[in-house]
Amino acid sequence: MIYAILSVKKNPGKLDPLLAGIKGISGAGLYAVLVDKVAVAVCDINKVDLVADKSGAIEYASVIETLAQQYTLLPVRYGSVMESAGTIKKLLKRNYVEIQQNLKKVENKFEFGLKVFCDSEKLIAELKAESKETNEVEQKSGSEIQNSVFREYINKKLKEHRREEMMLSYVDSVIAELTEFLTHLNTVNKIKKMASPKNIIDAVFLLKKDKIEEMVQAIKDFQSKYPELNFILTGPWPPYNFVEFTIK
Amino acid sequence: MSENKILCNTGSVDLSVNDISEELEQLTNSKDSKLELTPANADSGLAKLVLTLVELIRKLIEKQALRRVDGGLLTDEEIERLGETLMKLEMKMEELKKHFNLTDRDLNINLGPLGDLM
Repeated sequence: MIYAILSVKKNPGKLDPLLAGIKGISGAGLYAVLVDKVAVAVCDINKVDLVADKSGAIEYASVIETLAQQYTLLPVRYGSVMESAGTIKKLLKRNYVEIQQNLKKVENKFEFGLKVFCDSEKLIAELKAESKETNEVEQKSGSEIQNSVFREYINKKLKEHRREEMMLSYVDSVIAELTEFLTHLNTVNKIKKMASPKNIIDAVFLLKKDKIEEMVQAIKDFQSKYPELNFILTGPWPPYNFVEFTIK
Repeated sequence: MSENKILCNTGSVDLSVNDISEELEQLTNSKDSKLELTPANADSGLAKLVLTLVELIRKLIEKQALRRVDGGLLTDEEIERLGETLMKLEMKMEELKKHFNLTDRDLNINLGPLGDLM
């Protein structure tokens, strides 16, 4: 089973002792398959014995986490199995250029996650109270209701639509501010909005470790500016969301 | 998520680590939103797929129509007719969902890294 692809241009001699001290899934011993300056951390496993469950995924992630403390690496999807070390070597050789490019991109960097939560009902109520213009429009549409079930239906839908638009425009403004700040830290970002009604922003950044303090301070400043939101910053993580190549 | 990975967790919204875990669990629990076609459930599996697409198109049409209403682009008569059409479409969808024993959650396919369809 493959755990991660590592750059071993620094400290190549430390890899074997490090792997020897880590236990893989179900206590399996880890070892490295090496091609030039790239190594793959693997353990032997019978594919039939592999159960894709939460505890296995956590064990798997903790191995990658330990390796990421010492080496620049590309995490491999949980459950990736190849039949032999020879096959892995062939794969490394075929994809060597792309692997090196990806390793370079994440070198000395870690992934950080930012989730922004809110009480959506409360937030919409606050936004509505702030938006005098919207209140006027809603009052107007309310007074326009005629004795028609279809018109009432449209008015109800229109109200929901305006609430959604209001929320989206609010989320867009927070994201714009966040993105502007992140450009100063030279991060690579992936931002998803409205993952759920409560989780309005779900973002991941690739950031140099020495910028953590700056990032934490910035999130605290954002928090003061947006007291109606919860900002949760997590990390450092191995770069799970920033490996971008398709194996040939 | 282990506590030592949380670098910053502030805000007035009352969310504990458990609440967040629950929320994340819901976001990642795609069991219901997967399309599982087997010989035994070919009918309902296909109905789920077709109705998901119909629902997506219905919602897009509704959104576009509401934008036009909101932009003041339609006359009262047109709004009235639109209301009737959208209402009937929604009622028909409810009927079909009931017929095939499907819920709103069933009609939302998980597209992996892209998130949910709707």
